Amino acid sequence: MSLLDILLVAIRVAFAAFVPLCFIAVCVWMERRGAGFFQDRAGPNRANIFGFRAAGLVQNLADGAKLFFKEDVISDHIQHKFYFVIAPLIVFFTAVVSFAVVPFADTLVLNGKSYVMQGIPIDIGILWFLALAGFSVYGIILAGWSSTNKYGLLGSLRSTAQVISYEIPMGLAIVSLLVVYGTVNLNGMAQYQGQLLFGFIPMWGIILQPVGFLIFVIAAFAETNRTPFDLAEGESEIVAGFHIEYSAMKFAIFFMGEYIAMFASSAIIVTLYFGGYQIPFLATDTLINYAKPVAFLLMLGLPAGMYFFAGWIRKNNVSHYPRENDPRVYEGNIYIKGFWGLVILLELILFAILLCKSGGAAAHIFVVLLQICTFLMKVTMMIFVYIWVRWTLPRFRYDQLQKIGWQVLLPAALLNIFITSAFVVALS
Amino acid sequence: MSAEVKTLKREGSTLAEKIYFVEIFKGMATTFGHFWRNLLDNSNLYVRHYPEVEPEIPVRWRGRHRLTSHDDGTVKCVACFMCQTNCPAECISIEAGERLDDKAEKMPVKFNIDLLECIYCGYCVEACPLDAIRMDTGIYSVTDNNRESFVLGLEDLLKTPGAFSEEEYKKGGA
Repeated sequence: MSLLDILLVAIRVAFAAFVPLCFIAVCVWMERRGAGFFQDRAGPNRANIFGFRAAGLVQNLADGAKLFFKEDVISDHIQHKFYFVIAPLIVFFTAVVSFAVVPFADTLVLNGKSYVMQGIPIDIGILWFLALAGFSVYGIILAGWSSTNKYGLLGSLRSTAQVISYEIPMGLAIVSLLVVYGTVNLNGMAQYQGQLLFGFIPMWGIILQPVGFLIFVIAAFAETNRTPFDLAEGESEIVAGFHIEYSAMKFAIFFMGEYIAMFASSAIIVTLYFGGYQIPFLATDTLINYAKPVAFLLMLGLPAGMYFFAGWIRKNNVSHYPRENDPRVYEGNIYIKGFWGLVILLELILFAILLCKSGGAAAHIFVVLLQICTFLMKVTMMIFVYIWVRWTLPRFRYDQLQKIGWQVLLPAALLNIFITSAFVVALS
Repeated sequence: MSAEVKTLKREGSTLAEKIYFVEIFKGMATTFGHFWRNLLDNSNLYVRHYPEVEPEIPVRWRGRHRLTSHDDGTVKCVACFMCQTNCPAECISIEAGERLDDKAEKMPVKFNIDLLECIYCGYCVEACPLDAIRMDTGIYSVTDNNRESFVLGLEDLLKTPGAFSEEEYKKGGA
């Protein structure tokens, strides 16, 4: 193994491990500020360090510090302390590891050697995700049972029943997808989606499998315990469900695990149905050939985008009440300067790519970076959809949940398989 | 004569509503409209920027108590114990003493209100025959670090001025 091999392995493992962790902060921030804006409130925007509020991101630090220093209570009535402690870890660990098979860029070819861009380079892809997503419910079940609390037990019971009824439509939706793609490897799926349908529509899963997409997304919402399927928590009826007895950092682990699960399942949805890391109309080979024009267009687009972003900061980062020497204006000006500095740095990098030999190593690396950005942007949008749905829809009643799972999603998924298979057989 | 029967139309039974998705997307469009408007311009949020911007207190608001005084500065209270008797939270404790300024026979030597006990019902104001106790200071937030400082004495109650003019106060229905 050369030094380059080791470096690339380190980079891809670090990406798969740390990006989900970083996205906890982004998710929580998006959830809280987003909820505020959905409900015509402001959301947490006061916490600051020397007056810098970073649009409310500092609140995460404050919350984290609070949870870290709180007393970690394990009540005396809990008999199985081992299971009680290990339950949040299962939720957290499975969520982090389930992201490891998602490709965040196309295979990187350097000096004739190819490097897979996913945390764990295995071919089973989607099966790994299904297995771990199913396993993460064990954490919830264990937490509810070992809490020795009637609300906790009710929460975990609900979660168990919900998982049984929603794993099946999810699996069936994936079956019809496998019929279309002909592979279980997620990177293969993403490469397949780089093609064009009829020569002008990106061949994304959502266009080939619209019904399958709806079924998968509904099942994924149920799988991650998000509203409208968050019956396991149901704060209005069973207080907090499975994590009622948890406090301090053990609760925080549950909380973070939930957000990582949201990130991982967004990443899977993007990979399966939204072309993964593919930029529409620009498959990897095309991108490598046209690296210079793309870099040039980005060089033009970045300052233009930054101009409007600066205007937005100037307009919104002010105090909306009479205040002398508004410190928020000062704060906003520093942000604008910082972002302009970032734009200049990116411009220099893009200029360097313009100077490099076309089709060389620099172009390959540039394409990988571009695809990583695309992937993360798509995932962020999918996370936003999760948040958007949460602040729009009320929780389903328990019998409605079961009815939708068994009487609507299951037949729809089966029908989808038959129709898809018929089409695939007829076309091949 | 039979009772008049009014049949209400039952909502939610059309096909579009039973499929759920149409209605879900409509609802999501509504919420996204709110999100987008507030993201582009956050000056129209329905929130008060408390504590910088304080709420407007109407005249009839029952705020922290005060004791009123005559024009020459002597206390109006005659220690009749009406307010203390009426208080459902038992937060008022008065100690009466002899009065030497010819206004009446008695006056309070001690007049303590425990704000941690008080439920701000306003019965003391209603009960007072001499308009000696009022809740028109406009103070709505009472905070401190120790329990003792929540017990107001005669001095504290006398020195807080009312937040409104006599005219406005009378118009408020007192």
